[in-house]
Amino acid sequence: MLSWRQAGAMRFSSNWKGGTSMITFKEGNLRIPKWNRRVFIVAGGTTAYKKYFPEYKLEELAMMAFKQMLEDNNLKMDPSEVKGLINFATYGEFADHFQDQLLCEAKIHDYLGLDPLHNLGIKTGGATGGSTILAAAMAVASGYANVALAAGWERMDEVDTRTGNFYISTAACKDFETRLGRIYSSYYAPMANRFAETFNVSEVTRAKIAVKNHLYACSSPYAQQAGKYTVEDVLNSPMSAYPLRFLECCAMSAGAACVLVCDEETAYKLTDHPCELFICGGTHTLRVADRRHMEVPLLPHETPEMYKELYAREGARYPGFESFLAARFAAWLVYRMAGIKNPLEELDLVELHDAFTISDLQTYGDIGLRPYGQEQDYIESGDAYYTNPNTGKPGKCPSNLSGGLIGTMHAVGATGIFQAAECLWQLQQKYDQFHGDPALWKKWGKEKPKDWQSLQIPATAKQALWVSHAGVGSHVTVGILKKAG
Amino acid sequence: MLKKKPQTKKKVQAKKKVEIKKKVVKKKETKGREEVKFIGQVTRIRQTEPATVVEWPRTITHIHTYGMLSPFFEGLKKGELRATQCLNSKCAEKRLWIPPRAHCPDCHTEMVWKTLSNPVIGKIYAFTRVVYAGTGIELSTPYWQVDVEIPGLATIPKSYLLYGEPRIGMNVKAEFRTKKPTNTVLDYYWVPYETNA
Repeated sequence: MLSWRQAGAMRFSSNWKGGTSMITFKEGNLRIPKWNRRVFIVAGGTTAYKKYFPEYKLEELAMMAFKQMLEDNNLKMDPSEVKGLINFATYGEFADHFQDQLLCEAKIHDYLGLDPLHNLGIKTGGATGGSTILAAAMAVASGYANVALAAGWERMDEVDTRTGNFYISTAACKDFETRLGRIYSSYYAPMANRFAETFNVSEVTRAKIAVKNHLYACSSPYAQQAGKYTVEDVLNSPMSAYPLRFLECCAMSAGAACVLVCDEETAYKLTDHPCELFICGGTHTLRVADRRHMEVPLLPHETPEMYKELYAREGARYPGFESFLAARFAAWLVYRMAGIKNPLEELDLVELHDAFTISDLQTYGDIGLRPYGQEQDYIESGDAYYTNPNTGKPGKCPSNLSGGLIGTMHAVGATGIFQAAECLWQLQQKYDQFHGDPALWKKWGKEKPKDWQSLQIPATAKQALWVSHAGVGSHVTVGILKKAG
Repeated sequence: MLKKKPQTKKKVQAKKKVEIKKKVVKKKETKGREEVKFIGQVTRIRQTEPATVVEWPRTITHIHTYGMLSPFFEGLKKGELRATQCLNSKCAEKRLWIPPRAHCPDCHTEMVWKTLSNPVIGKIYAFTRVVYAGTGIELSTPYWQVDVEIPGLATIPKSYLLYGEPRIGMNVKAEFRTKKPTNTVLDYYWVPYETNA
């Protein structure tokens, strides 16, 4: 149980310079989520992602991901039998603006042949994918479903790029922010400048993240923005909003992804290699402007002393413009839910929401891969790489081997689900099966590169984490997949 | 005190009714038997390979209310920066809010308006140069978007710098578009304010 002392650590300060009065959460607000029964993910499916995808309608893309999930995951039952186990579905879609189709869920559900089973549409911006899996997990954990489908999609190619950027910018406050940029990079860029100033970070570190994720996308048949770039290429690419360059920004995509969520008994009926699922979420103000200073909620391996100096400095705020409280809060919950004591030591892979290089960098502190203020070291140390460029040995906790949002995709409603599928396949030792098969490349109109490299993490790997993140940190889920049996 | 202003809504409703009547008259113009007519624009085909792709143009006006925050936008046109404040003596949050909120997020009390006295001097907390903006951008690009700390505020509102180049910690002064107001948050902006000190 959570002690009041822990609960007391979560305070908003209304007079933080003098520290005279605090608003304190009550214990109930900070209860650690607990499933009523264990929840597993057994299979995943995805389409390739493209900037413009005229070949297929949205429901056809969803079907292709669904079929891959049912047919290509080595499940121990026939696809139609697996489908016969599903009794609930959750569907993630970011914006009706893009689909230009209200109740898209009904259209896709029917197209997948799942009527009259019930489905719920889930919407939490960029965190929609994570929230969709969370909703499916809640159904399984509660007993509402034994097997739930969690699927997501986005079709961002019905409008031109600038209009797409305007649509996304309506996920900033329409009265006080949207008109000041009409593009989301302009809401992240001020954070990048502030982060660089506060924590003394060079833009080269951000560029390295872009280089890494574009490179890892070269191994993925699903990737939209694969490329072998140098730090100079990134820094010389056109400016979107200073200091964020085009090569530091995610793809605007069309595509779909899904995973199958189930209870323990069914999980083992379907596979000998299920992964146990833990997932929690957090929320913070839509406008960064409204983020009042508070004390840092400490992760299991952190101490108050770690942050005494950092946030005592003149003008320092937590989370300020540098960090995401929603991500920290989600991690704060899920590490306790999943029994993780030290994320860097215990996680074997992370898939983070690199919508922009800066959001990736900011998140390293939120989820405790490094203490706040030392985020850049996760990249500079080489820990974040498949192969540590400093030592030539495997990176300690590689990040975004899928290519992430910068290299592979950001079909928003699908993103958090695609990331979960990638984590699952990595833990099941199926990276090559889902990325290296020449037939897969051909299916999506590509040729497998001659210099294709496997990014499979070692068989000893046990746990992977993925972050699904909305707005400028308005909603965040942090999910953990744990290799079972 | 905070008050809603429903007048603009009425005008819009009246306009809509007229449009509907026109359409009804048009439909009845037929020779002899009554036929349903195609009154839209022909949908243009953009491409036929690898699949048929059509264009679907839109022009949309949303009717959006500023609700209880209307005094903020009215204030900008008068050259005033108005903030809200919670006066509940039991509430710990005494600072001002811009963007304003009608209700205190901590105790839910309806807040009151406070006009900041001019000149309003703030300090740049963060910034970006918007180079590539989305459709409908109303400011000429590139421009500097700035987040400004204002003394006494709980918040760090986002705005833009009319001229000059920002740096973190730089003093700026609020100015207002009172002559040709846009009736939006763009009606206030910042200009460099360098003192001799």
